Amino acid sequence: MTEKILSEKNLVVRHSLLELIEHWAIAISGLLLLFTGIFELPVAKRYYIITVPGLGWSADFITSLYIHYAAALVFTAVGIFHLAYHGFRGEKGMIPQTGDLAASVKVMKSLFGFGQEPPMHKYLPEQRWAYVGMAFIILMLIISGLIKTYKNIYAPDMSLAIVLTATWIHNIFFVLFFLAFLAHMAAIALRPNWPMVRGIFTGKVRLDYARHRHALWIADIKKRKTSNH
Amino acid sequence: MESPKISKISRRSFLQITAGVAALTGMSLPTTVQAGSDTLSTLIDLSLCDGCVDRETPACISSCRGINKHKIPKVVDSIPEPWPRKTIEDWSKKQGVTNRLTPYNFIYVHKAEIETAGRQQTIFIPRRCMHCDNPACATICPFSANHKNENGAVVINPKQCFGGAKCKDVCPWEIPQRQSGVGIYLHVLPGFMGNGVMYKCDLCNNRLAEGKLPGCVEACPRKAMIIGPKKAIEAEAQTRARQMKGYIYGKKENGGTSTLYVSPVSFELINKTMTKKPGQPDMKPDVKRRMVGTDPLGKTVLSAPVLGLAAAGALGWFSRRKKQVKTEEKDND
Ligand code: SF4
Ligand code: SF4
Repeated sequence: MTEKILSEKNLVVRHSLLELIEHWAIAISGLLLLFTGIFELPVAKRYYIITVPGLGWSADFITSLYIHYAAALVFTAVGIFHLAYHGFRGEKGMIPQTGDLAASVKVMKSLFGFGQEPPMHKYLPEQRWAYVGMAFIILMLIISGLIKTYKNIYAPDMSLAIVLTATWIHNIFFVLFFLAFLAHMAAIALRPNWPMVRGIFTGKVRLDYARHRHALWIADIKKRKTSNH
Repeated sequence: MESPKISKISRRSFLQITAGVAALTGMSLPTTVQAGSDTLSTLIDLSLCDGCVDRETPACISSCRGINKHKIPKVVDSIPEPWPRKTIEDWSKKQGVTNRLTPYNFIYVHKAEIETAGRQQTIFIPRRCMHCDNPACATICPFSANHKNENGAVVINPKQCFGGAKCKDVCPWEIPQRQSGVGIYLHVLPGFMGNGVMYKCDLCNNRLAEGKLPGCVEACPRKAMIIGPKKAIEAEAQTRARQMKGYIYGKKENGGTSTLYVSPVSFELINKTMTKKPGQPDMKPDVKRRMVGTDPLGKTVLSAPVLGLAAAGALGWFSRRKKQVKTEEKDND
C-alpha cells in the first residue's frame, strides 16, 4: 500500500506515482481532445481563432485530427488501463457507497457555512459521485470515438444508423465532458478543498488537514498498519 | 430527426443498370453479380462528350437541374448575419448560373482548348462530385449529415446539414456549395452556429433506389456517361483507355473515386487549361487523399484498448508477484 503517514514531515501519502501518472495522462490528453475536438467544428476561421499567434493551424481539420488521434491513443489506453487495473485489484475507494447522497448534501451545506462536515474517508462522498460520472462520460467518448475512427479508416459506408448514433453520442458527451471539467475546476476553487490540490501534484497532503477532515481514512491507514504487523 | 432513407440499390434495379451499361456500350458484362459488388461507378468518356455545343445548355446540366430544381426550400427573406465573420452565400437570385458549381447547379462542363502534337483539340469535361471511395467530406462531417452509402453515392442530408462548409474545405475539388438562409441552423443559433446547407450531386440516389439512371447519364445524347458495378466500370475504363491510347482520371485521385474519366488527352494537359476558382475545380492528377496520413495513427488508436488491458495485466501480475515475494520473505524470517 502506498498510503503512509509521515508524521515527522506532517504529511500523508495520498496517491501513488502510478495514480498521478494516470490522472495527468487523462487530464492532458483530455484537454488536447477537447480543444482539437472543438477545432473539428468549423469555428477556427469564423471566430478568427486562426489569427491568435500559434493557432494558425486550428482551421486545418486534418492537422487537428492528427493531434486528436495522438491524444486519443493516450486517453483510451490509460482509461482502459485504469478500469482494468484498479477493477481487478478490487479498489473501491471511489465507488459511491450507501449513504453518500445524504452525506454529500451535508458536506455541500457545510461548505456554505451550514452545519458540521461529517468525518470523511479518503474521498469525499461527492468526489465519488463525480468520479463515477466522469468515468461514464469518458467511457462513452472512448466507445463512440473508436467507432468513428474505424469508420474513418475502414468503413466510410458503414450503416448510417450506427454512424449517426456514434456521432451524436460523441457530440453530446463532449459537451458533458466539458461541463464535468468545469465542475472539477470549480471544486478545486472551493477553499476547504485547497489542501487536497497539492496531493494531485506531489502525491502527498498535510497530515493535520487529513486528521481533521479525513478522520476515517487516517483511522483506516492506522488499522491496516497494525494488522500488517 | 428524420433519418434519410439509405438507398440500397435493389437487385432488380441493379441488373437494370448493368443491362443499361451493356446496351449503351455494346459490351458484355458478367451476368451474375458477385455478393458485395453492388457499389456503383460512373464512367465519363471525354472522347464522346462534345459539350452539347448545338444546345443552349448541355443535356446533362439541363437534366440535372430539372431533377433538383425543388431541392432548396425558399430562402428566408432576411438571411441572419453570421457572427463574427459575416460571410453569407446566397445564390437564390443567381439560380440560372450554369458555368460553375453552385447550390442550384451540381454539374457544369469545362471547355479545354489543347494543343497536342501540333494539333488543336477541344475537350469538354463535365464536372461534378466524384463520389470518392473514402470521402473526407463525409467521414469528417461533425454531424454525419454527409454519408457514403453502400451503393457508393456520397449524399448530404439537407435536414441535418448546418452549412459550416467543412466538407468543402476537405474536398480536394471543393465541390459542395453553400446556400445560406435555409436549413436547420435557422432554428438553433443562427447568428453563432452554422450558415446554411451544403449542396452537391448525390448521384441521383433517389432515382437509383427506384431503378432509374442518374439524370445526366440518362440525358446524354452522346452516351458519354455510363454507370454500373464498380468492377465492370473499372474494366471498361481500362479497355477504352487502351483503345484510344488515352488516360484515366479518378482511379487513384483522392484515394480512389467512383467516377472514372477516360480521355484521349492527358489530364496533365487538361489540368493546365483549368484555373481553380470557386465552383470551378481543377483536375490535378494524383491529388492526394489528405486523411491517408492520419490512418496509421488512427489504427494505433483502435489498438489502444488492447494496449491498456495488456499493461494492466502485466502490472497486476508484477505487483502480485512482488507481494508474494514479500510474504514469503516474511514467513522465512
Ligand atoms: S468529390 Fe469532394 S464532395 Fe465529392 S465525395 Fe469526393 S470529397 Fe466529397
Ligand atoms: S456529358 Fe453528354 S450531356 Fe453532358 S455535355 Fe457531354 S455530351 Fe452533353
